[in-house]
Amino acid sequence: MNTSTLTSSHPTPPIWRRAIALLAAKREYGVGLILAITIAAVAMVNPAFLATDNIRDMLIKCVPAAIVGCGLTFVIVTGEIDISVGSLMGLLAAVVGLLATPQHVGLPTGLAVLLTLLLGAFIGFINGLLVTVGRVPSIIVTLGMLTALRGVTEMLMNGKWITQLPADLRFLGTGRLIGLPVSLWTAGVVIVASMLLAKCTPLGRRIYAVGSNPNAARLAGLSLTRIKLYVFTLTGLLTGVATVVSVTQVSVIESGVGTGLELLVVTCVVVGGTSISGGKGAILGTVLAVALLGIIRTVLIFLKLGESSVYWERAIQGGFILAAVLVDHLARKHSRMEGES
Amino acid sequence: MTLSARLRRFSHWHEVLLACLLAGLLVVAGILDPVFVRFSTQVELSTQMWEMAIVALPMTLVIITAGIDLSVGSTMALCAVILGLLFEAGCPVWIAAAVAILAGIVAGLLNGWFVAKVKVHPLIVTLATLSAYRGIAEGISLGRPISGFPEAFCLLSRGQLLGVPIPGIIFAIAAVFIAILLAKSVLGRQLYIIGHNETAGRFSGIPVDRVKLMLYALSGLSAAVAAVLFVARRNTAKADVGESLALDAITAVVLGGTSIFGGRGNITGTLLGILLIHETRQFVSWRWNNDELNLIVIGSLLIVSVLVHSLLSRKQPRQG
Repeated sequence: MNTSTLTSSHPTPPIWRRAIALLAAKREYGVGLILAITIAAVAMVNPAFLATDNIRDMLIKCVPAAIVGCGLTFVIVTGEIDISVGSLMGLLAAVVGLLATPQHVGLPTGLAVLLTLLLGAFIGFINGLLVTVGRVPSIIVTLGMLTALRGVTEMLMNGKWITQLPADLRFLGTGRLIGLPVSLWTAGVVIVASMLLAKCTPLGRRIYAVGSNPNAARLAGLSLTRIKLYVFTLTGLLTGVATVVSVTQVSVIESGVGTGLELLVVTCVVVGGTSISGGKGAILGTVLAVALLGIIRTVLIFLKLGESSVYWERAIQGGFILAAVLVDHLARKHSRMEGES
Repeated sequence: MTLSARLRRFSHWHEVLLACLLAGLLVVAGILDPVFVRFSTQVELSTQMWEMAIVALPMTLVIITAGIDLSVGSTMALCAVILGLLFEAGCPVWIAAAVAILAGIVAGLLNGWFVAKVKVHPLIVTLATLSAYRGIAEGISLGRPISGFPEAFCLLSRGQLLGVPIPGIIFAIAAVFIAILLAKSVLGRQLYIIGHNETAGRFSGIPVDRVKLMLYALSGLSAAVAAVLFVARRNTAKADVGESLALDAITAVVLGGTSIFGGRGNITGTLLGILLIHETRQFVSWRWNNDELNLIVIGSLLIVSVLVHSLLSRKQPRQG
């Protein structure tokens, strides 16, 4: 009798609620679904959207955010944050340009790129050192770096643009290997490697362990310091990788490279389902979110809503985060109801 | 109580350090360039400071409760654009300003609603509205500047009362009000408790959600006031105003000794933080005409001040 009353007062939740719960639990699915629907809808309105050239252009535009996003996902999974990546990209762009062009330092391209990547990793390492050994909150460290690195960049550039990049450096941005641009290959390798790191290596499991319960991880003998140093260094290195394959797509390097990248990437990581308090998140979610937020501008153009529609890009990006957040909220409510019934 | 015990109990070393730094900077500046420290020069240079300073006051309160508001710059842009568009549409400028202020409060309330009721991390909420508000500002104004505001309105920023610029008077009133609120009122005590331990705060009967809603609304209000002052000062409203406002204000607050994890901080610290950043920036620009150096100095100052603080007080709990 009691049971039946209980059941009737708590009917099985409607199917849409369960769907929301599933999509929220596995954010990759939700973001992938919205991405697929968006692409299908735009392609129906304007089939030119699916032309090979357009798809390639859209993917290339997503490369820097995707590569940096892989590193930042790990940082956020450990419960920290890095908002200096945009300024770091600006600095590394200036450095690679100055090192490689004959009228400045004129190193061989390979060496210039190597030094740039090392500098990126080194600055990431410094961030990590200040956070772990210095005990300064990561948002403060990287906020300071965001400001300071931008200043260093402008000092290096001295108000001028770097032009006449050598051809072999331009190859990284514009060249092709087996039919695909080098930058896409690079992004593919970084994404697959990050997924393997997350799922198949002890280090990956430790990163998640540190984020989900730092005290338990410490008691289990993990070094929080070392793992956080790894993820910050990795993010710096990946920012270097993203820099060399993206700034070389155009023939000049200016000092504003990377401005605002940090906000875009943090947004993508969060929309992709990574929890800002650490311990939960997946590379695939981040990558799909980068694609979703990255194609908004192109979508607005292809929908032919008129010249003015592209001005709404950022409003739509913000709307996506708020929507993701609300879905989470509904799912939490739903699971609480499940628990009570 | 002996002197050494008194010294050990003295909890304002951070403020003393900042005040010494500020005094040192002004003395050096005065020796190198006496014109810089003249009152009239300072008044003239202060026009750059008031908007950030006004936003930094509620930001202190928000950060004391372990929150953060990244969206203030975008809120400022949205309010400026609303003011501009209404004025352009023929609305009297003072009514347009009032509507803009109302819009700022609503924008802040939306942040507060997401933080308090939907229980989303404030960093995420305000990151989202950082995009959204600026996006709306860009969308409704199509990115074009609006100018031609009446002279009487521009006096709001350019006018002076007893030799002090009007924005400075607004800031001073707000600072005194918020300092008293924080240090002397029940609500002020409650903010520290929320920042220290929100659950404990809830159990001791503090209306945590209502307090947060109010704080973010206050933050939105300050951004709207900054927007009105900006439009009056520059005689333009455009969707790209206030790009660096949030980071500048947060830098000033944190430099002033407020803990980003909440529970610690005061208005005196924030005032010193604002002044230190402002004077450093103005003097470096004035003397060396070098804005790049400024960015490096301010970024390093932020990291080093927190680093020194955390190395000196090892007991400070660390998150993550």
